[in-house]
Amino acid sequence: MNLRPQSRLRRLRNGTYALHLPPDERALLGVLPQQLLAALELLESDDDLTPDAARRILPIAHPRDAKAEEDYIRRHRPSLLARHMESLDLIARTAESNKLSADELDLWLTAINDLRLALGVTLRVTEEQVEPDPDSPDFADWIVYFYLSFLQGEILEVLEDDLPPSTPGAGADLPEDPWGDPLGGLRWDGTPLPPKER
Amino acid sequence: MQAWNLVASRTRASVAPTEVVPDLDEIVESDESLKTDEPWLVIVWNDPVNLMTYVTFVFQKLFGYSKEVATKLMLDVHNRGRAVVSSGTRDHAENDVTRLHAYGLWATMEQAG
Repeated sequence: MNLRPQSRLRRLRNGTYALHLPPDERALLGVLPQQLLAALELLESDDDLTPDAARRILPIAHPRDAKAEEDYIRRHRPSLLARHMESLDLIARTAESNKLSADELDLWLTAINDLRLALGVTLRVTEEQVEPDPDSPDFADWIVYFYLSFLQGEILEVLEDDLPPSTPGAGADLPEDPWGDPLGGLRWDGTPLPPKER
Repeated sequence: MQAWNLVASRTRASVAPTEVVPDLDEIVESDESLKTDEPWLVIVWNDPVNLMTYVTFVFQKLFGYSKEVATKLMLDVHNRGRAVVSSGTRDHAENDVTRLHAYGLWATMEQAG
C-alpha cells in the first residue's frame, strides 16, 4: 500500500507532465483566464478603454523614444498579444487535463504569470508584505493571487530540473548599466513610481 | 472576484504621479540613429509581482545563463531596480525584448554611449 501523497505535478519518462489538481483549483483555472482574455481583447480595439491590468501584459519597450515605441507596438504587439492570449486560452482549455506536454506546461507558466501580473496591478502589489483583511472586498483577489504564486512555484520547481545545460561563458561579459539613475524609479508603462516603491 | 475591466479606472486614477514626467508624445526623437557603433542594451526592470525564482528561470531559459549568473542578474534587478541582461545589435536586442515581454518581464532597450 502506497501512503505517499500523489505529486500534484511531476515529469513522466516520456517528457510529458502528470497533473493532479483538486477540482476546485481546476475550476478556478478554467474560469480565471476568461476575464483577462476579455480585457486583452480591448487592446485590439480600443486602447483607451483597456484596463491597466491588461496593459501590464504588454509593457513599454522604449520609455525615452516615443517614435521607437510606436514602431515597436506596430511590429510586435500583434504577435505578443496572440502569444499571451494563446497561453490564457490553453490553460482554460486544459484545466481539466491530467497530462500536459512540455510546450503546454510552458504556456501554463506564462499564463499563470500573466494572471498574477494582472491581479498584481489590480491589488496594487508592492514589495511590502501584505496580510489581507478578511473583511476587505479585495480579500478573494488576494487569496487567488497567493494561490497562483504557489502554483507557479510548483511549476518552476519541475521545469528548473528540465532546463538544458547553460551555455559556457554566457553572461560573463555583460556591460554594467551605464546611465546611473537618469530615469528614476519607473513603472511598466513609463510613469514614475511613488517614492516608497522605488 | 472583481472584474479587471471594472477596477481599471479606479486603479489608473489612484496612481498619482509624484513628479512631472514628459508625456511620451512630447519626448523629442533621440539621436539613436547617430550612434551607430554602440551596442544596444536590454534592460530588465524591477517588478514587485514577478517571483524571484521566475525571473531567474526566465534568464536561464532564454539566454542559457548558469543558475549563478541568472541569480546575480535577478538580484541586481531586485536590489538596484534594473540590470542589463543582454546586448548586441539593435535587431538582437529587440528580439530579446520581445522574448522577455512574452514571459511577462518588463524589458526595455537603449543604445549605449
